[in-house]
Amino acid sequence: MNMILQVEHLRGGWDKQLVLDDVNLQVKRGEVLVIVGRSGCGKSTLMQHMLGLLKPWSGKILFNGRNIWESPQALQESRRRWGVLFQSGALLGNLTLLENVMLPLKEYTDISRSDMALVAYSKLETVDLADFADSNPLEVSGGMQKRAGLARAMALDPEVLFFDEPSAGLDPVTSSNLDSLIKSINKSLGTTVVIVTHELASIFAISDRVVMLDGEEHGIIAEGTAMELKENSTDSRVRAFFGRDEFTEKKEE
Amino acid sequence: MKSTDKLILDGAQLSIHGVLETDDTDSLREFLEKNKAVFFDAGKLSLDFSDSPGIDSVPGEILYQFCRQLARAGVKITRIGASKSIDTLFASFKKHESASSLKKRRIGIHEHFEDLGEGVYTFLKTLSGLWFFVGETLNAFIGMILHPLKIRWPMVFYYMEETGVKAIPIIATLTLLLGTVLGYQSGFQMRIFGAENFMPALLAYSITWEIGPMLAAVLVAGRSGSAFAAEIGTMQVRQEVDALRVMGFDTFSYLVTPKMIALLCVMPFLVLLANCSGIFGGLLAGILFLDLPASTFISELGKALIPLDIIWGMIKSVIYAVIIANVGCFMGIRVRGGASAVGKATTAAVVLSIFLVILADALMSLLFVHIRPGLSM
Ligand SMILES: Nc1ncnc2c1ncn2[C@@H]1O[C@H](COP(=O)(O)OP(=O)(O)OP(=O)(O)O)[C@@H](O)[C@H]1O
Ligand SMILES: [Mg+2]
Repeated sequence: MNMILQVEHLRGGWDKQLVLDDVNLQVKRGEVLVIVGRSGCGKSTLMQHMLGLLKPWSGKILFNGRNIWESPQALQESRRRWGVLFQSGALLGNLTLLENVMLPLKEYTDISRSDMALVAYSKLETVDLADFADSNPLEVSGGMQKRAGLARAMALDPEVLFFDEPSAGLDPVTSSNLDSLIKSINKSLGTTVVIVTHELASIFAISDRVVMLDGEEHGIIAEGTAMELKENSTDSRVRAFFGRDEFTEKKEE
Repeated sequence: MKSTDKLILDGAQLSIHGVLETDDTDSLREFLEKNKAVFFDAGKLSLDFSDSPGIDSVPGEILYQFCRQLARAGVKITRIGASKSIDTLFASFKKHESASSLKKRRIGIHEHFEDLGEGVYTFLKTLSGLWFFVGETLNAFIGMILHPLKIRWPMVFYYMEETGVKAIPIIATLTLLLGTVLGYQSGFQMRIFGAENFMPALLAYSITWEIGPMLAAVLVAGRSGSAFAAEIGTMQVRQEVDALRVMGFDTFSYLVTPKMIALLCVMPFLVLLANCSGIFGGLLAGILFLDLPASTFISELGKALIPLDIIWGMIKSVIYAVIIANVGCFMGIRVRGGASAVGKATTAAVVLSIFLVILADALMSLLFVHIRPGLSM
């Protein structure tokens, strides 16, 4: 099947606050999809819905053609194939980095503890953190926390990786390193990637496709490759978003 | 005065010269207060700004409020030669005034009732949320009991140490002190009637039926209930709870049940400890202050206490443990937003659990006082 994740007529939000209305979105297997939009427009909310953390008010989320809310098992089995890197890294503060990476293995597999440690260690190696395996998350820098979070997200070789603002709070160099890491995972392992980000640089560097959300319309207002949106869009909100760099270029001249 | 150079009064016309600065505020206020009557009598005030390039916002606000006060009393206000910056300043006051008048209007008596109603509503909503939470906890708990291997025992032991072992010194010390004070004071009163031999019985009842369990519960709520709320709340804020859920962890069995099982295990012992050290305090009081020998104290105690007294404390302790663990975890799970929300949740956890503990205690005491032979009429 070509579509790995489908959002169909999703209507949802928090408690009584409607954030998303009639959102339709398809994620193709193996692509890097970037979700953009202004602050507060509902990007994180959409991601929470896709991850099954928030229940849709109506509509469906299909993973590999199966509704994730069909049964608790469906949700659990889907989650096993996902990896998520949250905005803050979300490592457990009372465990070491290694133990954090071992968490998903513990929950989903029956392999022995030493094997788990071995797998976790190799994952930490891919993000260049092997030397910090025994550190506490609160003792390492924000960039390292995110990388460790990425290692944890990859622990079970997921089919889809989700990122919520991976570059938030990172300097441009660290953030572009993280971008290339994400791209290389996508290329070498074929992992589908869904990213929320504001960074134009990373959008152009890694995205295959971009969708733009808008808070007032409670949904998607534009969709296409980054280049298409930047060059051809007639929508003023899209132009404002992608026009940013032109604006700064002009100022510098 | 510095500002009189800047303020010139001519009949009902107030001319302002130069820039009124923040430093001029006091003299401006004084000047206006002094000359208030002039404007009232004239029924008008005309402000001449033609010589003034601008006003700082603090004296501006004073002037504006003054004008409003006059205007409300029917004085006609006119402005001459105000520069654009002064107009903007006054316009901004006007805007913020309509905002603040909204707030001010809320002082009436209705609004107090409205606030009260709102408060009661949120409180009831919290309670109903808690009710469902307890339901889920019990559900998870029963599931755990049926599959004891699924319980995260290392965590249970960790929390048993945190909530139980580490609470021993403070609970023992405080109940000892309280027992001593109670024994001393009640014994002293009773001695007036020559009845100090009944002090051990009185003390034993009050400690085992009320003070021991209650004090232990209050201390545990303060130490551990708040810690539960803070721990889970912080994890919630840092999205760790979401991360756990995505990794397939059942948040209840990971975050809530170990804490509850731990508290259920240690609480009866803490109450037992509180009872013993409270009674021991009474013994000390007898020996030190009342010339009541230990042997008398103990034989009186033996006559008064029955096993039910001790068992009753344990039953209470189980209920208190359920309350404290659930309220603490519930408040933590409910945290949304940033770090300040964690602080609020911690406070709320302590207040609500102590409230519910006392409520439960009162209900149990009223309902079950008759089960204790010798206590009811
Ligand atoms: N945990 C929450 N509880 C209640 N409401 C929330 C929560 N998180 C977000 N919201 C609300 O949902 C709406 C969309 O927020 P969301 O976090 O999805 O925006 P976003 O696009 O991710 O913004 P940002 O770029 O700032 O992260 C906002 O109005 C916000 O108030
Ligand atoms: Mg967000």
